[in-house]
Amino acid sequence: MDFLNPVINGFAVVLEPMNLLYCLIGVVIGMLIGVLPGLGPAATIAILLPLTYNVEPVTAIIMLAGIFYGAQYGGTITSVLLRLPGEASSVVTVFDGYQMAKQGRAGTALGLASIGSFVGGTAAIIGLTFLAPIVASFALDFGPAEYTALALLGILLVATISSGSKTKALIAAALGLLLATVGRDIFTGENRFTFGSLELADGIDFVPIAMGIFGLGEILYNLEERHRAAKAPSAVANVWPSRGDLKQASGAIGRGSVLGFFLGILPGGGATIASMASYAMEKKRAKQPERFGKGAPEGVAGPETANNAAATSSFIPLLTLGIPANATMALMFGALLIQGVTPGPQLVEQDPGLFWGVVNSMYIGNILLLIMSLPLVGIFVKILRVRAAILAPITALITLLGAYTINNSMFDVTLVVVFGIVGYLMKKFGFEPGPLVLAFVLGSLLESSLRRALLVFGGDPLGFFSRPISATLLIVFVLVAALPGIRSGLAKRKATIPADTAATEIKEKV
Amino acid sequence: MMHFPNRRAILGAASAITLLALTACGNVSGGGSDSSKYPNGPVNLTVGQAPGGSTDLIARAISEGAAKTLGAPMPVVNKPGANGALASKEVAGKPADGQNLLLINASLITITPLAVTQDEAVNIDDFDIITGLSQDDYVLVASEKSGFKSIKDVTSAGRNVTYGTTGVGTGSQLAQTVLFKQANVKGTDVPFDSGKPALTAVLGNQVELATIQLGEAMPQIEAGKVSPLLVFSEERNSFLPDTPTAKESGYDVPVAQYRAVAAPKGTPQEVKDKLLAAIQDTLKSDAYKEFNKKNMLTPKEISGAEVVTQWKDYAAKYKALVEKYSISLAGNK
Repeated sequence: MDFLNPVINGFAVVLEPMNLLYCLIGVVIGMLIGVLPGLGPAATIAILLPLTYNVEPVTAIIMLAGIFYGAQYGGTITSVLLRLPGEASSVVTVFDGYQMAKQGRAGTALGLASIGSFVGGTAAIIGLTFLAPIVASFALDFGPAEYTALALLGILLVATISSGSKTKALIAAALGLLLATVGRDIFTGENRFTFGSLELADGIDFVPIAMGIFGLGEILYNLEERHRAAKAPSAVANVWPSRGDLKQASGAIGRGSVLGFFLGILPGGGATIASMASYAMEKKRAKQPERFGKGAPEGVAGPETANNAAATSSFIPLLTLGIPANATMALMFGALLIQGVTPGPQLVEQDPGLFWGVVNSMYIGNILLLIMSLPLVGIFVKILRVRAAILAPITALITLLGAYTINNSMFDVTLVVVFGIVGYLMKKFGFEPGPLVLAFVLGSLLESSLRRALLVFGGDPLGFFSRPISATLLIVFVLVAALPGIRSGLAKRKATIPADTAATEIKEKV
Repeated sequence: MMHFPNRRAILGAASAITLLALTACGNVSGGGSDSSKYPNGPVNLTVGQAPGGSTDLIARAISEGAAKTLGAPMPVVNKPGANGALASKEVAGKPADGQNLLLINASLITITPLAVTQDEAVNIDDFDIITGLSQDDYVLVASEKSGFKSIKDVTSAGRNVTYGTTGVGTGSQLAQTVLFKQANVKGTDVPFDSGKPALTAVLGNQVELATIQLGEAMPQIEAGKVSPLLVFSEERNSFLPDTPTAKESGYDVPVAQYRAVAAPKGTPQEVKDKLLAAIQDTLKSDAYKEFNKKNMLTPKEISGAEVVTQWKDYAAKYKALVEKYSISLAGNK
């Protein structure tokens, strides 16, 4: 059990007072923004990126990770009590959670969600602990060819799996790829799309793009929403679910953990899709599906477990391969780069303190969340009453100040404003910003790896198939690309499957 | 309608605060024309590289000591971009009062101009060099699988050899392309973003050779994962005494990274003297000497005038070399 030594040392890292404090700050901020509709974890992390600049890398990532999984908890609270999903990943919780609250079982719903989240999160961390060293043992086999295949697959999956229109996702991804080409060509020194500007010579920095599109763009978009006065929340009592409720929900929690874990690893997957898939699965499995939407405990426990498991397991591709699986992970990627840490297969070996410190901080964070989430419900509900007119200018100001401090550059501030407008327009016209940002991150990786690989192969593209890992990845790529065609072919022959109807039903409600 | 004045008031207040903050900053760095009062407020030490790299670490080691002697804070300001050209142009344009300094890399003067357009190149004559600092050597390492144990193995391999560089217009690229030409070996130049990924590629046998800075390569050399073939310095490196220089092996390609502290051209002599004294105090300290050792840096604490002559000599030499072998550093087209 030698490989467990660094895991245990990781706990020593988390238990340093500074790291514990930042973990606490992270989960509290996470819960807070989880409660506030509109501002999601991606936006918050984008806005707070500059603040992490002066702390140790491991501390910074512990805090940002806390924001991410903390938001999954917070989103649940408003879904159940106010029928107001704070996060996209808690949308399905509304269906049964709010119904339970109306029946006076709000406490039970929140308790089940908390327990489910804890179980899901913990299961995913355990999975991460055992899977990471396996991936890392292949670390040095990952060369330019493998990264090319991986980046290709990542971009394709992000564009095809993401919710919403596929065409729009592909357009956004293409724009991201285009933006990634700006700057000096690292192979020839030629300037591309820089228009003679030295500021653009190294390309557009990831952070201003993220802060603009996720941060400022979200703030602008939210200003459009009419301010809704917060309703009086349902009373919360009797938080511990009864034995009967637990028994009813335990299956859903177990299935949600596994489902969420796998959907989180998948590029383009993540908490939102995991929660929807879990809801659909529970409904399909139930003996009396008509109970769903009327306060079925499984309808709360399953999705809440799955979204937390997915939030945690989406760290796996980032920390072990350096490939962000979703927009929030792309921001984590940016945060690590700011700190001078390049996530990738070497991370576990080169920086075990950081890797295991972050992974183990999630245990602590989940425990903190479990303890805090219920007593703090009342305070969070009050925060909902803060008007957008007050919140928006403050966050916008923090965003712009933060953008300046990263490189001490006014040019970055201008970039944030420009991308803020881009992000706002994208949201307004129904384009998900996620694929753009991910394609931007993966685009430069794809280009440089492809060209490097071709140099090493002497210009022979068949070289990609001479290496087992890159060949496998490329075959998967082809399969994923061809899958929609095959599926529609099959669908023509078969009658519609009940699972499909369940899925579309959910989408309509969203 | 009720919300409208409210929102405006807040926006107004917010922008007023921002303005105040901005003007306050302007005051701090703006004043100080009277050189006898130097330093007048904080002395900014700008670095053209991201935090965490060796240039940044050196800047922080210098600022920590010099701030004490100067009696003014010396914050390190990172302004990465265009290999450091962005920061250089900015500092060159600041008032010559010693309040804004630059930690400058030799490669920006000696090598980068060979790869970029004329107007992007930085001219050393735009600066007064306060003092030279140290020398950071490049080492050529070979992967385990390549089987290369000496430069002879490479030259007698009789095949195309792949080598990683730390990027276009870097010392790593110049050193290897010139070496391969002089040794008459065919090679494929594979640029990476920096030293770390290039080293990883050697460890994973993606490329056979790479030239990276000694501090980065040392842990893997000591672990026996890569073999050092030669160093590009003029003399053997004290941290790697058993590895021959390129010169000893018969190749005329002396490349290393040098660093110096620079101020905008026309800084008053009095200010320069004060700065030099403060930095020299730091250079003499045990803490700084320990820092050099830890990062495998060889002290090269020469005068500003010597820095200018040496760097200009190297620039001329490299220009002649690439012309002689008709190498284009931007030539992977």
